[in-house]
Amino acid sequence: MQPIVITGIGVVSPVGSGRGVFWEALLEGRSGIRPVESFDTSRFRVHLGAEVKDFSPAEHFHHLDPDGLGRASQLAVAAARQAVADADLDPAALDSERTGVAMGTTSGEAQEVERFDDCYLADELDQVGARFMNLYPCHVIAGNVASELGFEGPNLMIPAACAAGSYAIASALDVLRAGDADLMLAGGADCFSRITYTGFARLGAIAPERCQPFDRHRKGMIPGEGAAVLVLEPLRRAVERGARIYAEVAGYGLSCDAHHMTGAHPDGDGAARAMEQALEASGVGAEEVSYISAHGTGTPTNDRLETLAVKRVFGDSARSVPISSIKSMIGHTMGAASAIEGAVCALAVAEGKIPPTIHFEEPDPECDLDCVPNQARELPVEVAMNNAYAFGGNNASMIFRRATP
Amino acid sequence: MSAHRTVITGVGVISSLGDTPALVSAALRAGRSGIGPVELFDVDRLRCREAGEVRGFNARNYLGDGNLRPLDRTAQLAAAAAQLALSSSGLNGKREEGQEIGLALGTMFGSVRTISEFDRRALTAGPIYAKPMAFANSVINAAAGQTAIWHDLRGVNSTVSGGTVSGLQALIYAADLIRDGRSRTILAGGADELCFETFFGFYGTGRMAGSTNGRGPLAIPFDARRNGFTLGEGAALLVLEEAEAARQRGAQVLAGIAGRGMSYDISRGGDEARAVRAVARAIRAALDSAGLEPGQIDAVSASANGSVAGDRAEALGIAEVFGEEGLGDEVPVTAVKSMLSESLGASGALQTAALLQSMASGVLPGVRGLETMDEDLPPGLASRDNRELNIRRGLVTAVGLDGTCCALVVERNPDVQA
Repeated sequence: MQPIVITGIGVVSPVGSGRGVFWEALLEGRSGIRPVESFDTSRFRVHLGAEVKDFSPAEHFHHLDPDGLGRASQLAVAAARQAVADADLDPAALDSERTGVAMGTTSGEAQEVERFDDCYLADELDQVGARFMNLYPCHVIAGNVASELGFEGPNLMIPAACAAGSYAIASALDVLRAGDADLMLAGGADCFSRITYTGFARLGAIAPERCQPFDRHRKGMIPGEGAAVLVLEPLRRAVERGARIYAEVAGYGLSCDAHHMTGAHPDGDGAARAMEQALEASGVGAEEVSYISAHGTGTPTNDRLETLAVKRVFGDSARSVPISSIKSMIGHTMGAASAIEGAVCALAVAEGKIPPTIHFEEPDPECDLDCVPNQARELPVEVAMNNAYAFGGNNASMIFRRATP
Repeated sequence: MSAHRTVITGVGVISSLGDTPALVSAALRAGRSGIGPVELFDVDRLRCREAGEVRGFNARNYLGDGNLRPLDRTAQLAAAAAQLALSSSGLNGKREEGQEIGLALGTMFGSVRTISEFDRRALTAGPIYAKPMAFANSVINAAAGQTAIWHDLRGVNSTVSGGTVSGLQALIYAADLIRDGRSRTILAGGADELCFETFFGFYGTGRMAGSTNGRGPLAIPFDARRNGFTLGEGAALLVLEEAEAARQRGAQVLAGIAGRGMSYDISRGGDEARAVRAVARAIRAALDSAGLEPGQIDAVSASANGSVAGDRAEALGIAEVFGEEGLGDEVPVTAVKSMLSESLGASGALQTAALLQSMASGVLPGVRGLETMDEDLPPGLASRDNRELNIRRGLVTAVGLDGTCCALVVERNPDVQA
């Protein structure tokens, strides 16, 4: 089976946009978490968010009018443009019918339904109907990426909530392995959402001051926004065109807890099965994994259960595998999160560096893993695992490894 | 990669025309429409007042006495269809370790009603009064998650969103997972509810039949007088199973999945030639993956719903593959949305379920109300009359209002085929 490799990375994130800026910020341990600016949080008890600040949509658009698109699509298109440029590809020179797009999201164009709701309450619905229907349905995100870049191959939108980016990358992998396309863009995008913020605030899940995954005193997650898109293509093709290869996407595992909509299985059952399937599908042993990018939201429950699941799969060696959560720096970017973390795994493999979990102060006996506290680490990474968990009990684990041409 | 064959061993439908494939099929053959006055919400201020609603839907009839409160309407439709599909496939019993059943649910919106009501309550009453249960259901994959919890579906759980093609795309997604040996059994299809938010939104775009001019709604696929689609709702799930696994457990095989294709029209209907080409590419990809020539297809179930541009692109795309002369006599085309309306995420799986019924009965339903074929389309393309014919292989097409095209080839009794 022809290996599928990553040859381009585009990221729009709360710590900066573009692969280089983003990666440097993570390795320096910088946080992109700030007081929320996109809406008034005075009625909330929490006020922090992880918004994308340095973003002007227009510079990423050559064909579509960015003002006619929702923000999640704008973020997605920007990441896609970056990824294609990073892969040293001219989109117009690609075989358009053999090039496709797979994207994931949690809430799609949430700001468009929020606009609808504002009009509804102001009794101004007549001003919003067409815009709502044209901009809101989530599949427009993958469609907008394809229409902007001119890609006519398979087009998939997988709204698997906070694991959606990994689900989309998994789909792209299968499309390429089946020979249904020669090149796929895959990733995830979500815009900052009042609805999401309200919900997590109501669940008491938002941290008041900072996000500190795996710390004994962790108080929650920070909602965020962003997008990441990866360029995937068969190894042979990448080698032939002399592309820079970050890593191979070796395999994945998907499972469902079938237990609770918002809480993980108390035994880490689904999460463990996803990791086991990913290892098996990739032909990789647990002992070969050099780095895990944690789902690591920073909520008391997630980090405890993720630790439990990692121990189930890795056994005695669990504590010797570095596992970090970049959500400590960029917050939880929802459907983009696992795509951004996929990019992190690819970069870790390519550069032999792993980003830290920042704000780590006091170990938690229930999270006794090596979470790469506060300082990035240099370490050869042969195999990286990316974990992602979502509302609906949707779990995904994905394996990235050094490509051997 | 070792290729596994995918077969269909069960069907569950909840639709405006009934809750069994036989009821739907009987209505389609009788030319009976499921479209009627909207009862779920107030449409007094709008010119469009009809929809393909699932009237009198009561999830308890399918799901029993459990706590249904966590499931919104979309989730209840999906979970009910799942129940019907599982029981028709004989998969209701206890499942052993390693026998996990997956779910690939196509949906355009999940429940935007749940999302919107959650937001509006928080805005009016204050964020502290927002409902946690509604937030859990505000993710687009909520119906898939709730259905998995209800039926203990612990395999792959994916939501596929492709607008009106979502259901067919989910079937393709699931069939590919089985082909690759990743799953053995997946419930696949789609669900969407009828709600004010989507009704009003589509109304605002002017694409809904009767929304823009003085004429009443004429959601008649391929008819020269058509002026848009009628919105509907429903859920349809098929049990897709790896052929050998189905054989081992002695499951009744209804049909096999022979091939599938996908494409995207970057102009999203704006450039007709491109739109037609995209439709044809998806169909050709499906035929190629099945190793079939166009002449080996016996009938086509099109997604045409009365949309002026959409029906045209789909008809011309089908004609491009099958040739104008062959259409009608050689390869008849039906459009069941003339009676089932546009049920969004459910529609592709409903088309497929109806085509399986036609395979079994030998009757392909006509297009209800079709009187004056659009003169720009192949004259023999479709007819209002039922056709009696032997369908060994059928093609289901789904053409989105916004670019995505899917095609699926189903074949009858793959195990005994000569």
